[in-house]
Amino acid sequence: MSFAQPTPTLPKPWNDALAKLADEVAAAVSPTGVKLVVENVSSLDAVHVGAISEALTEQLRRHSFTFPATNSTAAQSALPLQLTLSESATEYAWVLEVSKDSADTTSVPAMIVSVSKSAFTEAEPGEQSLSLEKRFVWRQRERFLDFALSTDSSSGQSLLLVLDTKRLEIYKASGSGWQLLRSTPIPQMAALPRDSEGTISPKERKIWFKGFECVGDPDLTGAVQCKISPPSHNLVTRVKIPGLPNSLGTLVYGECRGETLSAYTGEGDWTQTDSIQGYLISFNPVSAVAVGDAIQVRGPVISLQAERDVSAVRVVIRNLKTGEYEAYIVTAACSN
Amino acid sequence: MLRRLAVISALAGVVFAALPARSARRPRYGGTLRVEIAASIASLDPDVAAATAEDAAAKWQIDSLIFDHRDADGRFAGAAGSGAFRVTAFEAGKRAVLAANEEFREGRPFVDSIEISMGRAAHERLVDLELNKTDIVEIPPQDARRAAEQGVRVSVSQPDELLALVFVEHDAPRASGGGASGSAAGAAGGRPIALTDGEVMGQALSLAIDRVAIVNFILQKTGEPAGGLLPQWSSGTAFLFPEVAPTQADLEHAKELSKEIAAAGPLVLGYDSADPLEQSVAERIVVNAKEAGMAVRAQALAGSSAEKSRGGTLQAGHVDVELVRWRMSSPLPGDALRDFLSRIYAGPLAGVEPGAFPEAPSPEDIYKQQRAVLNAYRVVPLVWLPQVYGLSARVRDWKAPRPGENWPLADVWLDTDAATGVQ
Repeated sequence: MSFAQPTPTLPKPWNDALAKLADEVAAAVSPTGVKLVVENVSSLDAVHVGAISEALTEQLRRHSFTFPATNSTAAQSALPLQLTLSESATEYAWVLEVSKDSADTTSVPAMIVSVSKSAFTEAEPGEQSLSLEKRFVWRQRERFLDFALSTDSSSGQSLLLVLDTKRLEIYKASGSGWQLLRSTPIPQMAALPRDSEGTISPKERKIWFKGFECVGDPDLTGAVQCKISPPSHNLVTRVKIPGLPNSLGTLVYGECRGETLSAYTGEGDWTQTDSIQGYLISFNPVSAVAVGDAIQVRGPVISLQAERDVSAVRVVIRNLKTGEYEAYIVTAACSN
Repeated sequence: MLRRLAVISALAGVVFAALPARSARRPRYGGTLRVEIAASIASLDPDVAAATAEDAAAKWQIDSLIFDHRDADGRFAGAAGSGAFRVTAFEAGKRAVLAANEEFREGRPFVDSIEISMGRAAHERLVDLELNKTDIVEIPPQDARRAAEQGVRVSVSQPDELLALVFVEHDAPRASGGGASGSAAGAAGGRPIALTDGEVMGQALSLAIDRVAIVNFILQKTGEPAGGLLPQWSSGTAFLFPEVAPTQADLEHAKELSKEIAAAGPLVLGYDSADPLEQSVAERIVVNAKEAGMAVRAQALAGSSAEKSRGGTLQAGHVDVELVRWRMSSPLPGDALRDFLSRIYAGPLAGVEPGAFPEAPSPEDIYKQQRAVLNAYRVVPLVWLPQVYGLSARVRDWKAPRPGENWPLADVWLDTDAATGVQ
């Protein structure tokens, strides 16, 4: 086991659940020497498993349970407590069983507590010559096409814009989350395709869809007007750059080692988890090389858009486990 | 420096153009998706009842493609063709052709049309898939491994269909003597239930049946042994109902239990005569029961009724216990269990007062409800089965539907560049 990573702070609901579990143990078993055995059959990582184990141990100590040293005589007679970290389709379920082998504990039923998975957001470390880091921004059940983080030009307030096929929703920062400020309908200019695509640019006050574009004022926070627009990039012959995958990608603002940055997804389809890989594109001759570690995401990347003026991309994925759509900002950092 | 910038600028234009706005992984429109199913649907009208459970399930899937709305009872309603597809041809029991609805509110489907061939036997479906005559077929779970070994592209869902033994009559022991042999075996909501002779027989059978062998040999490892009423991926607590191969001690215990009942004759185990899997499992149970000193006779029942699949009261007077296949109605453990409980308390536990089950049950509530049912031994879970589909090489973005979901045929697209035939 590695202890290189710091023990994470558990969300309050998790600590509350562990306290409840310890209360139930104390109600069922008199304080004694115990041995906690933890089995993880959920998607929690080892760091969090360790933190949960430590937190439960601490809670049991408060109820006067003791934890004899492993090789001590007392350890041999310690009451085994089996903690199984499991998960259902909707939440984490933590089950504590008093060992059936122990005398006078056969009638102790399994004790179960549950906590929401939404209180838990994984951190993604990244370190390489070109390293990518992702930051979670937003999730919702309904599909959306793009999003943007912006600032209200008059109030200076942080805004989150979320674009779907029918509306642009604007949220303002509220505590650690976002609160809906306004929902602006998007006039429908054409029959809706099933693979709709759309992009937001608050700085240009524009939204682009396939076949039409919309302008809003100010900062897209008011009503929008839309008009049919001709397809873009239709006059340029596409060429294949050696080294780049045949997948979703975009150029990224900035350079690394004097070469142009780009980010590409994996080549799977929309039923598979995905990854985002950084590439350096050189122009003489034109070629691309993958650099640094790819970052993994929990579902297919639906949209990948470059940010303006910063080395980052906006990513929308569909989380295959939850079915929800999630927004991330993936930042590229060159550390050469 | 200026020259380099100019070169980069010019090349950047090419690069921007080279970055695929629509990559190979993005869907393409067009083509006809060919689907073969076992069911023979007489009518797509939601008000017309299907003849069998299999027909009803397939009809539900097709109706979900052509209707956009359901009424308050969950039945498809509104205009046919308001969904992702509209029917352009229909031959009762044989064939249906659906065309994409250009105006569908969720966007036009990717394929232009779907051709559904009905009444196709399992081996016919597989052969047609191998000969590239079809794109999507249902595969019985027991055939999944062999199909995959033959190179068929197989899609397997999470296990979501429970194969279980259900005792037909409650508190009407078919054997005499012995009397109640247990007490406080468990309760729904705390009401103790004393074990009747039938329940003792249920416990003995549960101990004797080798679920691991059923999964390994009959299902060729496509499935999981079932100890509870929900699978682990849904409930998170299925490991509290462990299922391993019966030990010698289990068999001895089963023998002791069966001796407590003076049997008047063999226990009659009913199974659907049209279901080869049920037949194989029933025959295996007969063997397992014999090893534990119990006499069980497998009895084929003609025609599996839709009522049986829906889990209504099993009306089969000449059988004591019956094999049932119950598909989860939702991936959410509370919803799925609520559906199962409604079947159980209308059938094998009719007359038993169910314990309170909260609207938003916790994993602990779900565990306790299952424990109450299982301790009565009127329902004996055997195995969890997945839904298995065979796909042609050109099918893209197919995702095996989860419980309560429909075939995602509006999202499927056809890759015309893909190799054809068996992969």
